[in-house]
Amino acid sequence: MSLLTVSNLAKRYDSGGKPFAAVDDLSFEINPAETLALAGPSGSGKSTIARLVLRLIQPDAGRIDFEGSDFLALTGAALRARRARLQMVFQDPLAAFNPRATVARVLDDPLRIHGIASRAERPRRVAALLERVGLNAGLAARAIHEISGGQRQRVAIARAIATKPSLIVLDEAVSALDVSVRGQILELLIDLQRQERIAYLFISHDLGVIRAVAHRVVLLDAGRIAESGDARAVIANPQSAIGKALVAAAPRLTRNRP
Amino acid sequence: MKRLPHLFRSPEAIAGALILALLAAMALAAPLLFPGDPQAIAGPALLPPFQDWSLPLGTDRLGRDVLAELFHGARTSLAVGLAAAAAALLIGALVGTLAGFAGGLVDEVLMRITDAFQTVPSFLLALAFVSIVGPSLGVVVAAIALSAWTGPARVARAEVLSIRERDYVAGARVIGMHPLEIAFREVLPNALPPVLALSSVIVAAAILTEAALSFLGLGDPNRVTWGGMIAEGRTVLRTAPFLSIVPGVALVLTVLGVYLAGEGVVESTAMRRSLS
Repeated sequence: MSLLTVSNLAKRYDSGGKPFAAVDDLSFEINPAETLALAGPSGSGKSTIARLVLRLIQPDAGRIDFEGSDFLALTGAALRARRARLQMVFQDPLAAFNPRATVARVLDDPLRIHGIASRAERPRRVAALLERVGLNAGLAARAIHEISGGQRQRVAIARAIATKPSLIVLDEAVSALDVSVRGQILELLIDLQRQERIAYLFISHDLGVIRAVAHRVVLLDAGRIAESGDARAVIANPQSAIGKALVAAAPRLTRNRP
Repeated sequence: MKRLPHLFRSPEAIAGALILALLAAMALAAPLLFPGDPQAIAGPALLPPFQDWSLPLGTDRLGRDVLAELFHGARTSLAVGLAAAAAALLIGALVGTLAGFAGGLVDEVLMRITDAFQTVPSFLLALAFVSIVGPSLGVVVAAIALSAWTGPARVARAEVLSIRERDYVAGARVIGMHPLEIAFREVLPNALPPVLALSSVIVAAAILTEAALSFLGLGDPNRVTWGGMIAEGRTVLRTAPFLSIVPGVALVLTVLGVYLAGEGVVESTAMRRSLS
C-alpha cells in the first residue's frame, strides 16, 4: 500500500486578475522507503506541490491520503499531531530557522511539542540527533547563524527526523550547498532512508542529483505531469518535450555526443 | 552590553543618557534627600530661589519646598512615562502580532478597533478616560497607554506580515507548533526591534500627557507632579515666575533627554543591523 497518495490535486492563484493554475489535476503516489523526485523548470509548480502536501496551503480540489487516512480532513490539534510523521527540509538552511535560535532549541522544539522525550531526557536526545546526522554534539549550544551552511542543513535534517517521520519533503534541499557538501548530504539522506525506512519527496531541478538518489521521477510542466517513471530510464531516454529540454540543459548527462 | 560603545559614539546620545541618568538619580534619591512629605509646609510662602540655602529653590504659595517637590515630581514623571510606554508597547505588540499573524476576520476587527482609537485625538481620549474613572496614578497610566498603543500596533502588524511568510515560520508549522506559540515565540521577538524604536517617542509623549493632565487638575492629587506644580505657579506667574519655570525646564530637559537617548539607541541598533 502506498504511503502518500495524491489524487487530482489542483491549486489556482490569481495573477493580476487572471486565474493561473499552479497545480492542475495532479496525481502521484509514494511508497514507504521510496524516493520520488519532482523535477521541472521554474514555475512548474514544484514548490506549490510541496506546500500542498505539507498542508501549508490549502488545495482548491483533490485529495491527499497519508498513511491510509484523508490528510486534508485533519484540522487543529489532530493535524499538528500528524505532522510528526510528515516533515520537510527547506532549500535555504539559513532562512529555515528562527534567526534567534540555537541548535539545541531547534532540535528541542519537535521533541517537546510531540512529547517524545521528557524535559530531563531531551538534551541527550538532541545530542543523539546531532550525532546521527554526523555533527558534533557540542554544536548544540551554538547559534544557528554561527555554523556553516552544510552544518545547518544537517541540523535541518536532524530536526526533520526528530519525530521519526515516514515521509520527508526535500524542497531543493541540496541546491544551495556547494558541490562537495552536496555529496555528503545526499549520502546522509540515502543512509537515513536505508536505516529508518523514510520515504522522500525529492524536489529538484538538478537531474544529475535526481538520478543519484531517486527511484522514480515525475517531470512537471506548468503544473501538470509531463512524464513519469523509473528515474534512470526517464533521464536516459525522455519522451516528453520538457523532459528532453531538461536533459539537454544538464550537460553532465549528455555523454554520448558524436 | 556590546551596544554601549556604539551608543556613546554620538554626542547627542551621550547628552541624552546623562540627562536620563541624572533624572533617574533624582527619582531614586528623592525619599533619601527629602524624606518627609514633599507637600508639607517647609517655610514662609513664596520664598524666591537662592535666598535661603536650606530651601535652595525657594517655596511655593503654601510654603512648600520647591526642590523637594521637583525631586518627588521626577519620580512621578518617570514612573508614569515608563509604565505608560511599557503598557502601550505591550498592548500594541500583542494586538499587532495577533492581527498580522491571524489575518482574515481577526485582522479586520483588530485593525478597525485600532482605527477607532486613532481617529480620536489621543489627549482628548486620555482626558475623557481620567475624568470618567477618576484621577489616580494607575488610571493616568492606563489613560495614556490607551491613547498610545495604536502606533506600536500598526508597526508590529506590518513587521509580522512580512515575517510570517518566511521559511522558518513554515518550518515551525511543519514541526506541529501551536499557532499561538508560533506568533509569540517565533514571530513576535523578531518583529520587536522597529516597535521598540518607537519607545522614546512614546515615553516622551507620555510624560508630556501626564504633565498636561496634572496641569488641568486631573493628575493624582496625592502625588507631586511637574504639571501640577506648573498649574500651581500659574496663579502667581507675574510675581513668582520661577514656580512655573523650574518644573517647566525640568519637563523640557526630561523630554529632550528621552528623545536624544532614544535616537542614540535606534541609531546604534541600525548600525549593528547594517554591520551584520
